[in-house]
Amino acid sequence: MSLTSKLQEVLVCLRAGRVTLPYPAQSAPLPPRFRGRPIFDASKCIGCGGCASNCPAREILVYDVCQEIRILKYLGRRCTYCGRCADVCPEKAITMSHEFETATGTIGDIQQRLDLFMSTCQRCGRCFTEPSKLEELKLKGYRYDDLENERWIFRSQAYLEGQPVVDDIEIELD
Amino acid sequence: MAAREKLNLLKERFGNAIQRADIPAEDRLFVFVDPQSVREICRHVFRHLDARYVISIGADDRPHSGDFLVAHHFAFDEDHLLSSILTRIPADEPAFDSITDEVPAANWAEREIRDLYGLEPRGHRYLKRLVLPDGWPDGVHPLRKDVPFDHVPEGFDPDREFKFDEAPEGCTVVPFGPFHPTLDEPAHFRLYVEGEMVRGCEYRGFMVHRGIEKLAESVLTYNDIPMAAERICGICGCVHNVAYAQSVEGAAALRIPPRAEYIRTIMLELERLHSHLLWVGLACHIVGFDTMFMQAFRIREPVMWIAEKISGNRKTYALCVIGGVRWEITDDLRAELRQVLDQLEKEWRPVVAAVQKDRNLKARTRGVGVADRHLVKDAALLGPVARAAGVDIDARRDHPYAAYDRVEFDVITADGADVWSRVIVRALEVFESIRIIRQCLDRMEPGPLSLDIQDELPVGRMGMSSVEAPRGESHHFVITGENNRPRRWRVRAPTYQNLQGVPAMIKDQQLADMTISLGSIDPCFSCTDRMETIDIRSGAKRVWSQEELKQLARGTRA
Ligand code: SF4
Ligand code: SF4
Repeated sequence: MSLTSKLQEVLVCLRAGRVTLPYPAQSAPLPPRFRGRPIFDASKCIGCGGCASNCPAREILVYDVCQEIRILKYLGRRCTYCGRCADVCPEKAITMSHEFETATGTIGDIQQRLDLFMSTCQRCGRCFTEPSKLEELKLKGYRYDDLENERWIFRSQAYLEGQPVVDDIEIELD
Repeated sequence: MAAREKLNLLKERFGNAIQRADIPAEDRLFVFVDPQSVREICRHVFRHLDARYVISIGADDRPHSGDFLVAHHFAFDEDHLLSSILTRIPADEPAFDSITDEVPAANWAEREIRDLYGLEPRGHRYLKRLVLPDGWPDGVHPLRKDVPFDHVPEGFDPDREFKFDEAPEGCTVVPFGPFHPTLDEPAHFRLYVEGEMVRGCEYRGFMVHRGIEKLAESVLTYNDIPMAAERICGICGCVHNVAYAQSVEGAAALRIPPRAEYIRTIMLELERLHSHLLWVGLACHIVGFDTMFMQAFRIREPVMWIAEKISGNRKTYALCVIGGVRWEITDDLRAELRQVLDQLEKEWRPVVAAVQKDRNLKARTRGVGVADRHLVKDAALLGPVARAAGVDIDARRDHPYAAYDRVEFDVITADGADVWSRVIVRALEVFESIRIIRQCLDRMEPGPLSLDIQDELPVGRMGMSSVEAPRGESHHFVITGENNRPRRWRVRAPTYQNLQGVPAMIKDQQLADMTISLGSIDPCFSCTDRMETIDIRSGAKRVWSQEELKQLARGTRA
């Protein structure tokens, strides 16, 4: 009885043949929906900050350096490639690429920074294409992290002890 | 209606001790009771009404009502009812009556409440730290609302030692783990061994406690949490993702579109498939049957690929948002999934046939790691461990969620109560999962994937959800809150209960059977950070401190 079971096991193995791929020389093809590292397209982004306030890992910072320039920065450290940013982006400015071999010694290799030229809202003075977008976003469940300043910035005290937010970003750039 | 019926039973017997009750749905019951009677009520529910203990949960409700909350959850599996027995604990007297004497399975949960909320379980006989690290200062309780999520307490003492219990007389101590060749994750068991026989053990874990609940309650938002939740577990992540979403949807009384329910069911079953195939492989590996280990992994691989095609990732599906799912299963994917299932079924049959008759495997696992009905009841063991002991529970049938009420499947049980029975239960459950997915593919109708939620979710509502993970029921509890995030989110993974059964399972059996017994619950661990060496010649024991280990590792120590 046990012998037949051993023979069956041998058969299972023999039928399988060789299945191991010679990775990394050759890798299995990636499916179209594969979620790799997100890529931001500066020509499409309107700087709404939706991605930043929906990123579970808080990997995206959006901040203004002056009246007309808004910076979007993707930090690339603990991004989980969940694709929520790409989901919520109203302009489809984010693509989940097929890059997954992203190990690097230099974090700058995977970080991205968009310098966005913004026009100023005549009513509220802030940078927005349309003031009503703000209301729309809120309805969809978007949220500011910093209610007082209405900025979409996740302030981690690990970096921020008593420092202005924008300086913190300069630290992270390096 | 089971909820009302149980409530009436409680009211008849305990009268005024029942303060308030809430029946938000037919299959959910929340009862607020007088803190003085809670022990008596829990005993009645557990022993006389024969409910299954699920978990005990603490919550800090001081900002809203001024009190702490302690909830004991019980499941009436046959009546399809999940119930919660809640008490309010005044903030100036932070203590509650322990129910561990009546319900042994509450041991860990009450110690956890003590660690994280600083509520003393009165009458608990074993008040050791469970979750907090040894060096953590006394009096700081991280889940209290006045403690910020990134709080680093003063007075952390890295040298403070965990005091292990005295070994029983005549026993030698064998430290098992934190890092051990047959453990995939770190865990520390201190085994008391007499000759070759294990007489008892002490477990210390939780040292990579990641504080994910605190993070959710203070930083993340409703739709961020599913992506964090699925990272709780390295294998059954989707379970947590779905269980969380369902408990929020339950609290907010949202009914998700049917197509989303089918897709959730399919993904959960795909996850069970790859988890069981992995487990059968690992179990074979632990007992030295590496051929089958390789083959199980080979057969498993197409399941990973199809999951990747559907969701974009082999394992972290990032499936749910509140109100629905994110990934459509198109007609092409449906056809492909069917093929994968056919192939899997074809390949798995001969493996099961061979394994079922394999004498070596049987000899190695029969009568090993026994957890009988009584242990299952008292320690609230779950999933395949319970089913292998003939306890017919399965949250998919008992507390149907997603589309499980619209598919047919058998709950596989066995009666050996040992590792062998667990192998068989898991091996056969693979076929049931295949059956479930096929039915879902047949029955799913076109329709939206997600609700269009326009309003803020209601505040202060409670919801709970049980999802049958591959390794047992995963239970989530949510109290909805302000700022687009829950006030409280509690995750009870199945290993939390199953691990508490391990000491009884390995008692009085050979040391060599330890690994497969432990492996047979399919554990997910936390880890610990200390090492102990015993000098065999002198018998002298010495524990290396963290600092010494660091020096040793860096070569700065002579
Ligand atoms: S993929 Fe997910 S984690 Fe990464 S940036 Fe986008 S939302 Fe954040
Ligand atoms: S959501 Fe899209 S448009 Fe808005 S800031 Fe992000 S990338 Fe730009």
